[in-house]
Amino acid sequence: MRGTVGVAAASAAAMVLVAGCGGGGPQSGGDQKLTGGRIVLGVLNDQSGAYSELSGRNSVKAVEMAIADFKAKHGDKAVTKDITVETADHQNKPDIANTKAQEMYDRQGVDLILDVPTSSAALRVADVAKEKEKLYFNIGAATTDLTGKSCNKYTFHYAYDTYMLANGTGRTATEQVGKNWYILYPNYAFGQDMEKSFSTAITAAGGQVVGKDGAPFPNTSGDFSTFLLKAPTLNPKPQVLGTMQAGAELVNVVKQYNEFKLREKGVGLAVGLMFITDIHSLTPAALAGTTYTDAWYWNFDQQNREFADRFQKETGTRPSFAHAANYSAAIQYLEAAQSAGTDDADTVVRELEGKEVNDVFLRNGKIRAEDHRVIHDAYLAQVKPQSEVAEPWDYVKVLKTIPAAEAFRAPSADCKM
Amino acid sequence: MTSTVDTETDAGRPAPRSGLLAVTRAPGWVRYALLAVGLLVAFWLPNGLYPAVAVDILCWALFAVAVDLLLGFTGLMSFGHTAFWGASAYVTGLTAIHLGLPFPAAVLAGALAAAVLAVPIGYLAVKRTGIYFAMVTLAFAQMVYYVANEWRSVTRGENGLQGVPRELFGLDLTDDYYFYYAILPIVLLGLAAAWRIVHSPFGRVLVGIRDNPARARALGYPVHRYKLTAFVLSGFIAGLGGGLFAVGHRFVSLDVLHWTTSGKAVIVVVLGGIGTLWGGVLGAGILVRLEDWLSFSGFEAIGLVTGGIFVLVVLVFRRGVWGSAAALATRWAASRRR
Repeated sequence: MRGTVGVAAASAAAMVLVAGCGGGGPQSGGDQKLTGGRIVLGVLNDQSGAYSELSGRNSVKAVEMAIADFKAKHGDKAVTKDITVETADHQNKPDIANTKAQEMYDRQGVDLILDVPTSSAALRVADVAKEKEKLYFNIGAATTDLTGKSCNKYTFHYAYDTYMLANGTGRTATEQVGKNWYILYPNYAFGQDMEKSFSTAITAAGGQVVGKDGAPFPNTSGDFSTFLLKAPTLNPKPQVLGTMQAGAELVNVVKQYNEFKLREKGVGLAVGLMFITDIHSLTPAALAGTTYTDAWYWNFDQQNREFADRFQKETGTRPSFAHAANYSAAIQYLEAAQSAGTDDADTVVRELEGKEVNDVFLRNGKIRAEDHRVIHDAYLAQVKPQSEVAEPWDYVKVLKTIPAAEAFRAPSADCKM
Repeated sequence: MTSTVDTETDAGRPAPRSGLLAVTRAPGWVRYALLAVGLLVAFWLPNGLYPAVAVDILCWALFAVAVDLLLGFTGLMSFGHTAFWGASAYVTGLTAIHLGLPFPAAVLAGALAAAVLAVPIGYLAVKRTGIYFAMVTLAFAQMVYYVANEWRSVTRGENGLQGVPRELFGLDLTDDYYFYYAILPIVLLGLAAAWRIVHSPFGRVLVGIRDNPARARALGYPVHRYKLTAFVLSGFIAGLGGGLFAVGHRFVSLDVLHWTTSGKAVIVVVLGGIGTLWGGVLGAGILVRLEDWLSFSGFEAIGLVTGGIFVLVVLVFRRGVWGSAAALATRWAASRRR
């Protein structure tokens, strides 16, 4: 009996406490032009795991550069001078990404979330953006679902996707390196998408996929020997090993590819997704001759180089395409907010849709209104042999520029805004 | 058939035993005061924390209590409890999406599915103890993980089940603040059930089995059947947590089945105190809050901090936060009586 009384008293006290604290629900936006009189950009990405090198904290730096450039350009006419960056580490976990994205929009007053690698996390954040009616520019994730069946009004897909990577590399390498392929992919959404897109591109170019295997992801042991030893024994023997692993896993695949001397055994290497940071950690010697599709290359022309020099001053390293894309996305958002005169998401979306843009990252860029895919020129790149590397980070030559319209898929019928 | 098995129990038994006893020996007013404080904190939580984080804490509290039920009170270290947490998350998500059930019904369906799944896994696993039991449960959890990963047409693979609805008779629960109060009764029921199990004659037998399986059998208790029942009950409670987690995040991804999630559950229990029941709740609060804080902190090696704390607890406070506090309080009370 005393127990019941105790519980009842506690509950009553708790009720009073809750009532006293009031609703605590979401704050409603004011009717001024900028919420809170300021613009806040949020970078949500992996800052401690496999993708921290190729984007991570240096993307935060890139966004800070964008803000500085925007302020310098517009001076007193800028829509606001109070522009800040918030950042969080989602550790590649979708549940953390979900909580952090909500927290950024609700609590930190973030107007735009940038980056978000890992497809499951990216798809979830797209849903959060839709619920909260705030903007989200995805850069780090490659799934075409973001502009397919999961597309929404507030989500834009920047930089790259699985179609762009596979289409460029799959087609060209089939024409130039060999027709028979063995595909090794990490067994999660990105890898599965890549494998599908590659197989389609290879078959379309007259090649065939002799074998394909999904390796566990994440592959904590870093051991890919089972797959790599199997490749040359297949019949017909594959001429190209297409690896869809990314980041730290790619490094392990390539190391083992070289250890088993597959190149000498007549199996060339094509990489689904590679960042300049990967070539740097593997050294160009380990990758010489490898082809891949790049969304942007720092030493492509003078404009890129100038940006890369500034970036290096800030960070001590050359930018990957993800860094440049974060910079560009921040700039394009700020410019759109500037011409709209507000950070109201719906107004900014109207400003962005259909806009043709050119900046250091986007060449012949266009923000498609149909599916919010941001299209731009892409590049088929090949890793130089060590002898041709003129300076640190100068690892790649661009074989050909893939025009924006060909580089990305046509708007998908699955996307209903 | 089973006589060779239980002889290895002593080597594999992980639990220090004093926590539970210390708390139950506390005088009535202390227990009611603790209960009142606990309830107050539970009611206040989403006002002090970001509500989504508070929701996570509730889900993890259930998960931790489920693991502790086995680890602390039955002496079985399950390293595969994600199988139940995750399977329930998927079943909850699927029933909510495809059948449009109100979320408590979907969560119940998920938890029941987890309990059903626990029957065959438990039946095979409880024949072993200690490290072997841990490995068998881990193996089954990995199997469930791979099934979910490969069965893409249903689970959507690594992209995850997106858009799990929070349906409750037309109430608008999209705000986590209100959702927290919607799930709080379910969580409290789950915790009360765990408390009831531990303090029932059945729970006493479990503790007896934990401490001396040979004697328990000699006294005529069907040891395996008791362990299996505990395993299934634990799977059900873990499933309750997993289902709520799915509705709470409005999506289910393969992460809920990944073995690191099992590891995190064990860490939560060790941190809070093995065999203390409420320690798991406390551990969940600490770890979830800590991880949340760390991801905004700008610190680049998050695993190092949580791992370091785990090492520290194992080395210095083996009874966990709750167990250590209870031991201190007991000692203080004893010194006053003298």
